[in-house]
Amino acid sequence: MIDHLFNGLLTALSFDILPILIFGVVGGITLGAMPGLTATMGVAILLPFTFGMDSTAALVMLIGVYIGGIYGGSIAAILLNTPGTPASAASVLDGYTLTKNGQAARALSISAISSFSGGFISTVLLIMFAPILANFALRFNAPEYFALALFGLTIICSISGSNLLKGLLAGTIGLLVSTVGLDPITSVPRFTFGIMDLYSGISIIPVLIGLFALSEALTQLESIVSEKKQALRNFSLKMLSRKDLKDIAPTAIKSGVLGTVIGSVPGAGADISSFVCYNEAKRASKNPEEFGKGSIKGLSAAEAGNNGVTGGALVPLLTLGVPGDAVTAVLLGALVIQGLTPGPLLFTHNPEVVYNIFSSMLVANIVMLIVGLIGIRFFCKIIEIPRILMIPIIMFLSIIGAYSINNSMFDIGVAVFFGLLGFVLIKFRVPLSPILIAMILGPMAETNLRKSLLMYENSWSFLYDRPIALFFLVLTAFSIYSAVKFSKRKKKVIV
Amino acid sequence: MKKIIKTTLAAAALTFIASVSAADYPSKNIRMVVPFSPGGGTDSVGRALANATKDVLDQNIIVMNRTGGAGAVGMSFGAGQRPDGYTLTVVTREIASLPQMGLMQHTADDFKLIRMVNLDPAVVLVSQDSPYQNIADLVAAAKKKDGALKFASTAKPNFYLMALEKSQNIKLNAIPYNGASEAIPAVLGNHTDVTMVTPGEAISQIKSGQLKALGVMSEERIAYLPQTPTLKEQGFDVVTGTWRGIGVPKNTPDEVVETLGAAFDKAMASPDFKQFMENGAMTIHNLDAKAFTEFVKNDVKNLGALIN
Repeated sequence: MIDHLFNGLLTALSFDILPILIFGVVGGITLGAMPGLTATMGVAILLPFTFGMDSTAALVMLIGVYIGGIYGGSIAAILLNTPGTPASAASVLDGYTLTKNGQAARALSISAISSFSGGFISTVLLIMFAPILANFALRFNAPEYFALALFGLTIICSISGSNLLKGLLAGTIGLLVSTVGLDPITSVPRFTFGIMDLYSGISIIPVLIGLFALSEALTQLESIVSEKKQALRNFSLKMLSRKDLKDIAPTAIKSGVLGTVIGSVPGAGADISSFVCYNEAKRASKNPEEFGKGSIKGLSAAEAGNNGVTGGALVPLLTLGVPGDAVTAVLLGALVIQGLTPGPLLFTHNPEVVYNIFSSMLVANIVMLIVGLIGIRFFCKIIEIPRILMIPIIMFLSIIGAYSINNSMFDIGVAVFFGLLGFVLIKFRVPLSPILIAMILGPMAETNLRKSLLMYENSWSFLYDRPIALFFLVLTAFSIYSAVKFSKRKKKVIV
Repeated sequence: MKKIIKTTLAAAALTFIASVSAADYPSKNIRMVVPFSPGGGTDSVGRALANATKDVLDQNIIVMNRTGGAGAVGMSFGAGQRPDGYTLTVVTREIASLPQMGLMQHTADDFKLIRMVNLDPAVVLVSQDSPYQNIADLVAAAKKKDGALKFASTAKPNFYLMALEKSQNIKLNAIPYNGASEAIPAVLGNHTDVTMVTPGEAISQIKSGQLKALGVMSEERIAYLPQTPTLKEQGFDVVTGTWRGIGVPKNTPDEVVETLGAAFDKAMASPDFKQFMENGAMTIHNLDAKAFTEFVKNDVKNLGALIN
């Protein structure tokens, strides 16, 4: 195994492969940073270009895009309150607050280091424990997914702080929106009003673009029009301190491990992981009140959590031959096109391919860290662009992004609608993230609850006779309890 | 008078343009609508075919993913485009099923079907620890358990399962998963008892022995699973599977359809495309326009019998 890994590293660092890897990572970061262009799309768009390449180069490039893409989404989230991908929506919570406080460079460096930590830990765990993780992942089915989704949903309570009611209101809007489309079990149309575009439900990315990018642009536009005095945003290029590093280290490591486990479960991806890790970090924190107000631990948990998925997602692909998320589904296609059969036989028939993947992931994470840290200076320039120029650019990119997901004009309408909704909700101080969380996790909870009931023939015993499900349900109860206690304590202080 | 002249001239000009464009076809890039998301089976077949056909036609073929409604959104979109041969649509078996369920406004009649590309049977799969060794075991268990045998369904409704259920007068507890990539782990982890997917979706798990193939739902044994008997051999007359093909809007000129048909014939015979399909354990099944149209008509009838 060490031999294979060493050979793999030599390949990944070789003169003809390393440039491809760097190109992939940089390309991935760029694509990920654009609103509406996700890591999945990046990999899918580049896939045809790999048809003519040899299998190593093709896989290395796609892996670079994957790892870079998940990280890239966070840059826009932190600097512009515009998450490039759903996976970085949780990074907005603390990342953008830090930017507003003039600490953009600190936030970006924490993001780069945490993403690296998550991705690297995840890859190491993949290399060492892939078969064990695969067995664990196989124990996940409908009841476990339901419990996991429920735990993730409790983040709505915890990020709402003292405004529990407003947070729950936003969560309810999200849940309601997520019920549009064909019923996941019976295929009966729900709230579709005969409109064909609504049959497949409301896509999450146009909503994300509307809620975050467009509503933010509208809010800023309003402040320009009303000629409110704008303080020129000053920011320092100071990166994170040694103390910051020490503070975030335990969170980053724990979230990386948690992200790997979530990633190795088929069907749960980086978006779910980042929210679950954020929630877990807040639950475990001694100062949960700092979360959402520029907590570096919160940012670190979200960032390590979403990149932690990268290694985990390859577990089912390499050991079971089924993709762990949308990106690995495309990677699976790439392997097949190259004439390889993903699954357990890949280890015995083509170990060099497996170890090339492993080592290029290790190297891609290092490249991502270096590019991320060097890039901070340049990324920060984005904030210096006058808002009068930046707002139209963001709006333009948003509309393109919303269209490009499904090549659909309807999705532009969705983005605009949610942009206006977000604009109004911000005025009433209703938090927007719960809408997104509910849209991601609501369908997962609903579908899997109903699947569980089908599996258990309408008995509810799956809630207590499956240990993993029970574990997440207990965590859920803890999470709700602490959120309620926290919101009460906060009220007393105000009174 | 002026108006009449204008109209006549315009009509003449249009006819001229139309005839020129049909004769010159193809004179610009062609677009191929894939009604499923990038990276999936339909997408990769579409892209590979586009890749193989572009050299034959000497025009670029640009793949456009228009997803949603289990294929309904993309196929309806493709049917509604200008009938000039510059928009091709990958049509899948859903064009035969969705309209009958009221989930799609367009039907196969809104297309001129050009070629069928692949036809793959469903394979009945259980986990390696399963007590069932053949279809007879499975059917007996389904009868004994009276609707409690858990079936990991890749779609809802599942026509593979319905075909078996109807012929044997049995009922399984179908739990809907989101495609083969979720249904297969549900069987591997013993959360469900059985699933049915196409060979390409499970070839690696079958080869490694994690999944046991109890039977192939085709007329004859298939090259990818030579050891696995068909259901027919085992005494169960159930043949089902899935197919894909290429269509254009129904008013597309016949010359254009013929040019495209000839191009697809060459593309499907190209070594690259054959190799691609073989890697994915998919079977090329080239039917010409007439045979394909007839096939789809029959499938609409077959599915109608299951749906109603």
